[in-house]
Amino acid sequence: MKSRALKSKALRSLLRAKWPLLAVILLFGITLAAVIGPSVAPRDPNRQNIIARLKHPLQADRKGHVFILGTDGLGRDVLSRLLYGARVSLVVGLVAVIVGGAVGTLLGMLAGYFGGWTDDVIMRLADIQLALPFILLAIIFLLVLGPGVLNLILVLGIGQWVTYARIARGQTISQREKEYVEAAKALGQPTASILVSEILPNILAPLIIIASFNVASVILAEAALSFLGLGVPPTVPSWGGMLAESRDELLSGRWWLAFFPGVAIMLTVLSFNVLGDWLRDLLDPRSAAATR
Amino acid sequence: MALYMIRRLSQSLLVIFGVSVITFLAMHMGGDPTYLYVSERASNEEIIATRAKLGFDKPLSVQYLRFAEGLVHGDLGTSLTYRTPALPVVLKRFPATLELTFFALTVAVCVGIPLGVLAAINQGKPLDGGIMLMAMFGQSMPNFWLGIMLILSVGLGLRWLPISGRVPLLDPLLDGDLDTMLANLPHALPYLIMPGMTIAFFSLARTSRLVRSSMLEVLSQDYVRTARSKGLTELRVIMHHAFRNAQLPVVTMLGLEFGFLLGGVVVVETIFSWPGVGRLVFNAINHRDIPLVQAAVLTFSIVFVGLNLLVDLLYAQLDPRIRLGS
Amino acid sequence: MLSSAAKILVCLAIAFMAVSMLRRHPHAAVSAGTAPVNKTLTIAQSTDADTLDPADENTIPTLNIARLLFGTLYRVSPTGQLQAYLAESYQYAEDGKSITFQLRPGLMCEDGEPLTARDAAYSFERAADPKLKFTGNATGFVLPALGYLGARVDGKLRFTLLIKKYNPIAIGLISELLISCQAPYEKMTKEQAATHPVASGPYRLAQWTHDDRIVLERNKYFPLPAPKYDRVIFRVIPETSTRAAELIAGDVDIITNVSPDQIDVINNSDTARVESIASVRRIYVGFNQKQKFASTPGGRAIRDPAVRLALQYAVDVPTMCEALLRTPCTRAATMVAPNNDHTGIPPYPYDPDRAERLLDAAGYPRGKDGVRFEITMQAQRDLYGDTNVMLAVGQYLTDIGVKTDVQLLDPSVYVPLIRQHNAGPLYFQGTGGATWSPLYDISDLTSPASGTNYTNWADPAFFDGWKQLDATRDPAAMDAIISHMLHVFHDRGPWLLLFFQPDSYGVSNRIHWQPRPDEAITLSED
Repeated sequence: MKSRALKSKALRSLLRAKWPLLAVILLFGITLAAVIGPSVAPRDPNRQNIIARLKHPLQADRKGHVFILGTDGLGRDVLSRLLYGARVSLVVGLVAVIVGGAVGTLLGMLAGYFGGWTDDVIMRLADIQLALPFILLAIIFLLVLGPGVLNLILVLGIGQWVTYARIARGQTISQREKEYVEAAKALGQPTASILVSEILPNILAPLIIIASFNVASVILAEAALSFLGLGVPPTVPSWGGMLAESRDELLSGRWWLAFFPGVAIMLTVLSFNVLGDWLRDLLDPRSAAATR
Repeated sequence: MALYMIRRLSQSLLVIFGVSVITFLAMHMGGDPTYLYVSERASNEEIIATRAKLGFDKPLSVQYLRFAEGLVHGDLGTSLTYRTPALPVVLKRFPATLELTFFALTVAVCVGIPLGVLAAINQGKPLDGGIMLMAMFGQSMPNFWLGIMLILSVGLGLRWLPISGRVPLLDPLLDGDLDTMLANLPHALPYLIMPGMTIAFFSLARTSRLVRSSMLEVLSQDYVRTARSKGLTELRVIMHHAFRNAQLPVVTMLGLEFGFLLGGVVVVETIFSWPGVGRLVFNAINHRDIPLVQAAVLTFSIVFVGLNLLVDLLYAQLDPRIRLGS
Repeated sequence: MLSSAAKILVCLAIAFMAVSMLRRHPHAAVSAGTAPVNKTLTIAQSTDADTLDPADENTIPTLNIARLLFGTLYRVSPTGQLQAYLAESYQYAEDGKSITFQLRPGLMCEDGEPLTARDAAYSFERAADPKLKFTGNATGFVLPALGYLGARVDGKLRFTLLIKKYNPIAIGLISELLISCQAPYEKMTKEQAATHPVASGPYRLAQWTHDDRIVLERNKYFPLPAPKYDRVIFRVIPETSTRAAELIAGDVDIITNVSPDQIDVINNSDTARVESIASVRRIYVGFNQKQKFASTPGGRAIRDPAVRLALQYAVDVPTMCEALLRTPCTRAATMVAPNNDHTGIPPYPYDPDRAERLLDAAGYPRGKDGVRFEITMQAQRDLYGDTNVMLAVGQYLTDIGVKTDVQLLDPSVYVPLIRQHNAGPLYFQGTGGATWSPLYDISDLTSPASGTNYTNWADPAFFDGWKQLDATRDPAAMDAIISHMLHVFHDRGPWLLLFFQPDSYGVSNRIHWQPRPDEAITLSED
């Protein structure tokens, strides 16, 4: 009953506000691009054609083929790479957040529910991670683990678990004294079930808000790691990688190599940020203070 | 209060120890770095000899013990790249990074907070929308892209600011030489602006959004309505009542912001050739200069943990509930 | 906490100061000293020097600076002639096991003290001292390659180097060993020596701001002809675009490692131009013959000389240079730099049809999916700026049916891999050469087990040549032996030679400067 009321409230709020609606439409479009993009992409994103390199948008090569968004330094079609890159960037962003969110929420709930020794260990682990800037941690572990999309997702995911853990812990602490939890314990419900079916639904709201913002920051972090040479391997197109590859071309005025992936990143990140704002206003107006 | 502090302090020391062990293991996991420090044409015999000279032929436990032993005496080993003691190398680069961080923090405070207050006061009006739009963009832009665009437009195109380089400000100050610092100030600022703004933009955006939401929350509270009904001027209401109470989350955020900024400097320091500690650590990790990485990581973690402690203390001071409770 | 009003005032003050700084930025960068602009040369490299200890240098950017601080007994001209510098002459003993040097009179170090044979001998001894544990180029390569045994002082300006056996490239090797004065270095610890050089060359260290710049000033005690600049500043600018921007803006006079796609922009500016030169660094794809790769289909295939021959025709090197490096080049014919290559061997042409026929004949036809066999090529990311070339080579090979997976690895991962001969089965590598002797160039492959033989190639037809070289001192005979070795290398060697790396330098239009093929930045004395 509660969730149905929430859903209709959400829909009404969405239709009334312009920016979140735009953000949702944009994200839908980007997801569409990620899903069907590879099938409609005009060319193989890794197909090199060094004779036709650095063509600007709508320029044709000697054979008369037109590149709608131009070509990059190896003659690869920018549009195709952009479409394939949507899939990579979105998958990396979402999976990293899911991984980090799941791990963080689990550890946070365990720390909050059991307290004592468990709480201490988990919080000290969190402190150890927070004792270093994320990028340092990322660099060290990517150099140890090696390149690859999977390792990148792992590093990006593990980099954020603390945020979720802190919130989950705080929320679990305030929930565990509540009556419904006492009741469940009295009825002999196993702990795991209490955590998942009783407490989790009640603490999900702030976590989802944070997740939304974190997708944005993960996509930006992927771009930064690509700039440092630690992102996805060059045979995998990604927006961050395309942006990083474009940096030597800006001086010579080849704007399209940075513009299209840059705009793609900005719009996606912007949309997730707007979405997060709207979710926060909708679900939990007091959550600003809970994000410490 | 004292008990709380002691407990936090001992926890912090544990954390720093944990960080150093993890870093040590991580840096050694890829095999030994000797190959990166021998001449291009070194023979096998030379490589073996070099490995012994650098101490990488001993088992890992022995190497860590040596490191721990040196740590107790304040000696963090010798940098493989620079052949001089590692800790002084790191400390020497810190002022440059701190300059960028302080500049960015100052911008975030001096521009971000007023913008946030302005947006909150004018909620729903075009000014609010404009400020929030700019803030949204600021938080969505990859900072290295912004940096390169600034170099090409402001540095090369308009020739308003120097493209790269630095005139030291904090170094003379930390040496106690105030005169040199003041003499350098007008020369140093042009070099500081572009890299500083590149880092600051994200923080500025985030700060103004946080201040806005904090203020909005406070402005809707009962005691503000009471103050208004008492006939106090709007300015007084905002400054004395609303803003003061909005400070707590802002203070917390600024403390974390400093740490975040410190971490974000690697990219900016590379683009603007800023001789700071971010670039140093990145290169050290790339070259597996293990003593240098250990020294840098230790310094960073002490700074971060210290900051966290400070913020915790400030929080406890500002919010009596924490001080008195548990 | 400051009152709100005070906070606002502070912010306003800062803002005012900041705005007043926004003026057109003058050309000269603010730094110590006020020397006139045209007597100062500013060079921008991508990394800082690591150490200025004359016995410990290893990297090219460091050596560029060190060569201005320290002299050498002999030095190499841009065209590869060995010229007397701090020494006047040398003489091999009859048995070739020692070389006696005559030093020039009147040499001094920057502290005004004379530089004599004692100091020259000490320079060798110090680098060789096991207690000092140096790991640089001198200790790790020059002295062992020389066969160094010791140094003996014979007079005020005469000393003798003792070596294991006759070494035809001794003088060339010695051109890499920096000479310094004994007295100051005896007193310094290793750490002090790294940051406090006592110069024996045309310049001395005036200022070192780490990771930012090194300022050299004229060493007034240096008696030989010196470059005309009173000051030479080496700036550290890691980002390629920033380096080029500084050059175009006129703040820097010479920049290294110009990105190929920025060559046009620099040439079109009216402040600077690009000078390109084919260096002596051989860029090649190695076929790793190590046993462990034989278990993979690709690794097995490249053990067959017929397959290696086929692949030689698969890559269009001139087009890659033209399109990707924006500098014309000819394909490398042998592993010896053109000015020392007298064999007349032609480079392999681009002939993909021939490559395909040869692979068919070798027993590797195309499968249903068009693939003959799969292979991995490992490379170091961004090596010499050749990332695009690495990926393009992968595409060329894939086009003739050899599906290539290009793995771009971090230097900290790739370097240990290749030094242990574990990179492969294909690897992309560049190896430095010399302008003064073909022997240096072929010494990448001195023996099947040698450190730099990353392919573990063991063909006796090639390696027997070394025994023959050892047995003679006649230059004509040596030439013939080398020629034979290079023919074997061409027919069935372990390298797919690509090109001699073109180096592009950005040079301000204010100055006359020509780059050198040996990757060194030197300043002429006129």
